[in-house]
Amino acid sequence: MPFGSVVFAFAVGALIVGATGANPFSAYAGLLCGGLGIGCTQGENPALEISNTIVFAIPLITTGVAVALPFRAGLFNIGAEGQLLVGSMACTAIGIKFNTLPSPILLPMVLLGGMAAGAVWAGIPGVLKATVGAHEVVTTIMLNYIAQWLLRFLIIGGPLQLGPGTSKSLPIGEGAHLATVLPVDNALIIFGLPASVYRVHTGLLIALAAAALFAFLLWRTSFGYEIRAVGQSQKAARYAGVSVRRTIILTMLIAGAFSGLAGAVQIAGVDHNLTDKYFTDTTGFDAIAVALLGLGSAVGIVLAAVLFGALHAGGAIMQSDAGISSNLVLVLQALILFSIAANFVGAIRRGLPLGRAPAALPPELPPAAGLMSEATAPPPEPT
Amino acid sequence: MSGLEDIFRLLFTANLWQATLAAAVLLLLPALGGVISERSGVVNIAMEGMMLTGAFFAVVADLAWHNAWLATGVAVLAGALMATIHAVVSIQFRADQIVSGIAINIFAAGLTVFLANRIYGLQDVGHVGPTEGLPNIDVGGLDQIPFFGKVLFQQNVVVYMALVLLVLVHVVLFRTRLGLRIRAVGEHPQAADTAGINVYLFRYSAVITSGLLSGLAGAFLAIGVSNTFVPNMTDGRGYIALAAMIFGKWTPLGAFIACLIFGLGQAIYDNNSVIHVSPYLLSMLPYILTLVVLAGLVGRATPPAADGLPYVPGSE
Repeated sequence: MPFGSVVFAFAVGALIVGATGANPFSAYAGLLCGGLGIGCTQGENPALEISNTIVFAIPLITTGVAVALPFRAGLFNIGAEGQLLVGSMACTAIGIKFNTLPSPILLPMVLLGGMAAGAVWAGIPGVLKATVGAHEVVTTIMLNYIAQWLLRFLIIGGPLQLGPGTSKSLPIGEGAHLATVLPVDNALIIFGLPASVYRVHTGLLIALAAAALFAFLLWRTSFGYEIRAVGQSQKAARYAGVSVRRTIILTMLIAGAFSGLAGAVQIAGVDHNLTDKYFTDTTGFDAIAVALLGLGSAVGIVLAAVLFGALHAGGAIMQSDAGISSNLVLVLQALILFSIAANFVGAIRRGLPLGRAPAALPPELPPAAGLMSEATAPPPEPT
Repeated sequence: MSGLEDIFRLLFTANLWQATLAAAVLLLLPALGGVISERSGVVNIAMEGMMLTGAFFAVVADLAWHNAWLATGVAVLAGALMATIHAVVSIQFRADQIVSGIAINIFAAGLTVFLANRIYGLQDVGHVGPTEGLPNIDVGGLDQIPFFGKVLFQQNVVVYMALVLLVLVHVVLFRTRLGLRIRAVGEHPQAADTAGINVYLFRYSAVITSGLLSGLAGAFLAIGVSNTFVPNMTDGRGYIALAAMIFGKWTPLGAFIACLIFGLGQAIYDNNSVIHVSPYLLSMLPYILTLVVLAGLVGRATPPAADGLPYVPGSE
């Protein structure tokens, strides 16, 4: 992981906090306590803080994979958020409609339903890219917003609404719940708190499996080879007999399935219904930072997801303990993105040779040439 | 379909078209910024963040100095400052312009709320007084024309400014040497460089101009349309402006037509008390229409040839 970028972000973040007259050390102490349970001063339970971090990290791992995989094919999936939302919507709709079914049937149904919905949502940009050359960045942005409005429609006055005046959905059936790792038992005391307060759920295993599948797919299958070949050079891939169109569409379908799964797992494992909290969800955007910071490797993605999960969990404690808005976390996240994208750390190390640095893209990014200029010409397909 | 009937009836009210033009201008300003930036070859998806920053600083300055024009100036500069970050990162450091744009938007969302909390505590940001916002101006005489007077001549001062800017950007881009150079830099920077055009200078200027325009839109939103700042108050308008830019095929006039279409959707949405179609479904329309355009069903949307490509002197 590019630790330099993280250090850079925290240093600049400290300057910003300091410039407003607040103490950056107490801010970061709050983040550290809320994220990793280290150095807590207000009686927080470290085990609970770590548990919260893991709960935040779970969807970040799966959506991180959903951004990292298309990166390898030279595709920039900014649509993980929309794909996650349709996944959560499909999961909820199925979980409500068939709420009497037993878990062995209903749970696979809601998870697969979420995957299918996410795959469709990412498949649209995939098909548009492969056929008419529509740029996936723009189409996925549009689909993010369509998903957000669809969510509002469904739970405010729409078919999934709990009742008039509410902005949440009916709960999904018990059979669609993902179990928590610890038993839901108030009598069982673990690290000083009842076991039921720890919300880490078995979706963690699904997320880790997704990361492992990502690595396997990319490095151990011929399809993974095709993805990498298309990402390196569409022209060369075509000469090697790879169908570029098929690879683009399939990659997006798989990525969307991962994002949709993340949304379904979030409903099945944590929330059990759709709420207005999802209107402001940013998991799919955080995933972009996770994929970039994780350098597109499975282990890196998991580590980066834990970092961002810790920042999210820590933000709440920073706000309550140090009185500093949890929005500082977004500032740090943006600084990390700037730093990775511009390779500030590398530039500083080279003594700021402005304007002479080589195209400073992290290795997993597609060459910028692929981003806008190829947006129109559909790749000719050899027959 | 009573819902359609209601919309149909609504279409004949001057109020609706007055609101449509105002909503369109809110999108037009960042869309013009996007056109200029991308015509020079720098992909800009950061209008959302630049606009949000402008909105925040407009309110902060107006609350401090009680002067809407001073506040607008601050907002414009704040937008330009965010744009400068995008320019430095993507032109000087040749970072991925999409990542930089996303980072600007996240940065703006976080920084504005963080600063609001530092300045005003954890309660809401205060409200700008009724006489301290950007004024509505009725153009004497013309505003009495039936229907059109209300639509065209009873508007906020920023609406008139935006329409002038629209003509200005169109003329500069397509009728002047300066515009030709901007477009040359966006289509073929190597050739432009060979012809003695300073590629970096043009790209910096274009990106910063997009920040000025987005900052103005932010001021219009915060102290013209609304009278306070709330977190994330731009609510995707910068992205709809991006859609309008593509819809309009990277031309100012095309973008304006798209903004009018999207603005009409917004105005109908704001009148949702008299219609029976879910306003949420209506809100999807701009995005769906843009997908349709991108799918090539309504002609082809072609970006400038070097859009998104960092320029490396001496490269081919």
